[in-house]
Amino acid sequence: MAGNISAQYMITNDIKRQEPKTMQLILISVALIFFVLILIIPLVAVFVKAFEQGAGLYVFSISDPIALQAIKLTLITIGFAVVINTVFGLTVAWAVAKFKFKGKNLFVTFLDLPFAISPIIAGMIFILLFSTTHGLLAPLLNAFDLQVMFAPAGIILVTLFVTMPFIARELIPLMEAQGTVEEEAALSLGASGWKTFLLITLPNIKWALLYGVILTAARAAGEFGAVSVVSGHIRGLTNTLPLHVEILYNEYQFSAAFAVSSLLTIIAIINLVVKNIADWRIKKQENRS
Amino acid sequence: MSIEVTNVNKAFGSFKALNHIDLKISTGELVALLGPSGSGKTTLLRIIAGLETADAGSIIFDGEDNTEKSTQDRKVGFVFQHYALFRHMTVFENIAFGLKVRPSKLRPSKEAINGKVRELLSLVKMEELAQRYPAQLSGGQRQRIALARALAVEPKVLLLDEPFGALDAKVRKDLRRWLRKLHDEYPITSVFVTHDQEEALDVADRIVILNQGKIEQMGTPEEVYDNPVNPFVYNFLGNVNLFHGRVHNGKVEIGSLKLDIPEHAKKDNKEIVSYSRPHDIEISVEDEGKGFIPAEILFIRALGPVVNLELKRTDSGDYLEAEISKERFKELELHEKQKVYLRPKDFRVFIPEDYVI
Repeated sequence: MAGNISAQYMITNDIKRQEPKTMQLILISVALIFFVLILIIPLVAVFVKAFEQGAGLYVFSISDPIALQAIKLTLITIGFAVVINTVFGLTVAWAVAKFKFKGKNLFVTFLDLPFAISPIIAGMIFILLFSTTHGLLAPLLNAFDLQVMFAPAGIILVTLFVTMPFIARELIPLMEAQGTVEEEAALSLGASGWKTFLLITLPNIKWALLYGVILTAARAAGEFGAVSVVSGHIRGLTNTLPLHVEILYNEYQFSAAFAVSSLLTIIAIINLVVKNIADWRIKKQENRS
Repeated sequence: MSIEVTNVNKAFGSFKALNHIDLKISTGELVALLGPSGSGKTTLLRIIAGLETADAGSIIFDGEDNTEKSTQDRKVGFVFQHYALFRHMTVFENIAFGLKVRPSKLRPSKEAINGKVRELLSLVKMEELAQRYPAQLSGGQRQRIALARALAVEPKVLLLDEPFGALDAKVRKDLRRWLRKLHDEYPITSVFVTHDQEEALDVADRIVILNQGKIEQMGTPEEVYDNPVNPFVYNFLGNVNLFHGRVHNGKVEIGSLKLDIPEHAKKDNKEIVSYSRPHDIEISVEDEGKGFIPAEILFIRALGPVVNLELKRTDSGDYLEAEISKERFKELELHEKQKVYLRPKDFRVFIPEDYVI
């Protein structure tokens, strides 16, 4: 992915040299106007609306126990999604990039399933599996008295599903391009498998890994559709931030809704900044090799 | 350390990369694995290193079976074709890596590691570049760092995969000499893979010629060059001229030329091919009645002390190459399109049925 970005970068540079000044101006203005209309104004609006009825209501809206619970559940979900998908993503990327096995292409295609499928279907799949009344696993769940749907566990599960491909997708092309030769060199120098991973593989993929983690965190924080299906909307128990925003909005508490939205927006902006740093580092690393 | 490869087989799917390979390398030898691409030479080297596992057979170091040992435990130095330097580490860190990753009990002190790295940097004459990253080095410099890195762990065996393959001709020649010198000073058992016959003949103590997963011939450069056992080896080690003919009454008949070949006396009336190197072709301006082969000079390249002649036989139309000294060339006063007579002074006869190329 980073490769594409640097390639595009080079192409724009070439065009810049060839196009006349007026054309440049028109293109840049159109891009800027569109950017402000579609991106900046709504972003500002979120914060303006959030503070419309004063800072007092803003603080109250986000420190309300139900809001705090939503923040907590969202952070826990992000945590699970990031940790589990990092382990999974590294494993999958390693297997795909460094080994040959039958059905590899099919496997990689299926990896994209969570991207291709509508989030609501993702939620439905989990209901059909884990519902205690009509789910496929209902007998098992009832036998152990487990509640997965309409509980934090269900929210974490669907979030894992929808964020599964991000890290693996980010790592596979990079690891394929790098091959196994540096790892082989480390092994021939007597390094153990673990040290080889830690000292050779990880430093070479760390920025791409961070990039994947950011994408995973952003999606985990913002996922609405799939989470909405399995949550059951139990206030103070199974509401994440996006669900909490919806509830507030439906209850005509606009300022509170925007206050909570602003939190999600801040998470998004932090993600963007880190993502850009990762991007920049990947580009630098590529230039160096 | 001596290396013994016994009866090694390796297949990739239906492709047989190695077929019953037996090879003994004694301590301190510098051996070249020479062959065209796809001959299995790199696979054999990787199996010796433990980077690839053989389907059958064993790898023995100093009498100790290493077949089941992992790469880490074999203590071999491996120099990769494209260097495989760690791109995120400086030259210094690259060389120190093998020592730094040792378990704490076996790890030398920091000072000892620094000392060792400095010693190796001066060995490869790159002290000033210690803090550079691999991307900031030239190909030849990277190759020397790769070698220094492999030597840092004091391996008992040094394995090099096409060590000079990606370098330009001049650097290649310098590094080749340097490797030979290094080996004379530090006689580590070394095996290197190459497809360049000149490189193998120039550097190695012994050459192993591989083709299609089999060893065709082993021997010192002189042995394999002077006495190729079959047409493949003859062809592979330098330029060669082919003369098609027949065996008749213990003599080879090539055109009007009759030559004695006692070794094939029993095989009467058979098609043969004789091989002769360009420098073993005798040229004469006049037919001396000894059954010389008539030919026409097509092209003369008179660079340096040796003059190359491209010739076309006027009896059969086959093309030939000959090399003569500049003195002889001047003596004969040769020029292009001239009619000459030639005869192979030294040649070998192979009966094609015995060897299918």
